[in-house]
Amino acid sequence: MTAAVPSVIAQDLAADLAIASFTLAQRFSAGATMWCVAPAFAPHAHHIAVEFVHPVIVGKRALPAVALTGPDLLGQVRVSARAGDVVIAVAAADERDVRAVMRRAAAWGVTTIWIGNGDRPQHGAADHVLWLDDQDPALPATGEFVLLYHLLWELTHVCFEHPGLLTPSRECTDDVCITCSDEGRLGEVITAAHADGSASVRTATGTETVVTALTGPLSPGDLVLVHAGMAISRLSED
Amino acid sequence: MNQQSLDEATNFLYPFIDGNETDASALLADLTESALAKAAESAALRQSTLAACAHLIEIAGAEMAHRFAAGGRLFTFGNGGSSTDAATLAALFASPPAAHPLPAWSLTADQAVLTALGNDVGFDLVFARQLIARARDADIAVAMSTSGNSADLLLALREAHSRGMYTIGFTGYDGGAFIDNPDVDACFVVQSQSVHRIQESQALLGHRLWAAVQAQEKNR
Repeated sequence: MTAAVPSVIAQDLAADLAIASFTLAQRFSAGATMWCVAPAFAPHAHHIAVEFVHPVIVGKRALPAVALTGPDLLGQVRVSARAGDVVIAVAAADERDVRAVMRRAAAWGVTTIWIGNGDRPQHGAADHVLWLDDQDPALPATGEFVLLYHLLWELTHVCFEHPGLLTPSRECTDDVCITCSDEGRLGEVITAAHADGSASVRTATGTETVVTALTGPLSPGDLVLVHAGMAISRLSED
Repeated sequence: MNQQSLDEATNFLYPFIDGNETDASALLADLTESALAKAAESAALRQSTLAACAHLIEIAGAEMAHRFAAGGRLFTFGNGGSSTDAATLAALFASPPAAHPLPAWSLTADQAVLTALGNDVGFDLVFARQLIARARDADIAVAMSTSGNSADLLLALREAHSRGMYTIGFTGYDGGAFIDNPDVDACFVVQSQSVHRIQESQALLGHRLWAAVQAQEKNR
């Protein structure tokens, strides 16, 4: 029994697309590259990349979008993505490599967009979740995802017509600015083999050396909370 | 009037262009409405396309099932976004969720083959050459296009037809050179001017074609 064609997308999804496209336009304006991944559906990664890098509408900007496919997805994204970049994934919520990428995005300073269907990822798994609740495992081949990333492209290019909105305001409106001493930040361990027991950790602001007395021995790829020069705890993958 | 005062005189017509815009909420509301409208347009086009192509899906599905049963295989191809939709279609046949796998490949899968052919003999022959090397008369060729006018697809369809393959074309706009083409046995036309909306409908058509083949397989 083949699935019925859904009549429209939900209001919530349309609003999510609007916000995601606005963020995407801001990131591209600031020089971001968008990395496209879809381990179970590589053609979707390629389709998104070619949409952005070689638009079907003559005269629209070519934007840096790259499909990453093949083995060791996590390693490929880790070495490719720079702070300020975007990662967009087309995957089910239980796709292990995509979950690992999303989990580390804050440590890499990367904005994330996740397209999929079926059971939803847990709340906060990605910055922008564009989701269809239909559980049909063949949905990825019906054109529904193609519609979503086509809309993302179309709306992003509308945002480029509003340059004044794309550079975020730098005004500090708080009485007290948040500084490194006030917050814990996500870090991913690069190397932990230093003789003095310290570790090199990648965070959204760069590479830092941290004291590991509180966490004990760490391995490359481990997730830690960084605070005032220390790794204060190890974090789980979930 | 100098240039600056000329600009200021017309600024009121385009309040967002001069970079002084600060309130994103109006833009976000417009984007949301736009997303809803485009999605509705896409859904309507998919509905009307399926209705218009229902009979052809049955015919093509039956012929494909007949050929698969006789040992035939499927080759899909296209350019750009259509190449990825062709790859999705091949993967649906070859690795379906909970259904019978069938031999199917995309002809854009191998970057060494594509770049060698493009560099050495020209991009127009990139798919035809692969069919010459790989295909037999029992096989099926599916060309996915939005224009119906790409030379590499037309040459591949000619090659496929001359070999006795069953040829299927997906096209858009007014159909381009796929229409009334002796090299195209079954021609699916998505009646739209938008490349994006055409691709969305073609993806669904491909899925329905696959479903028709699976239904035929069950009857054997």
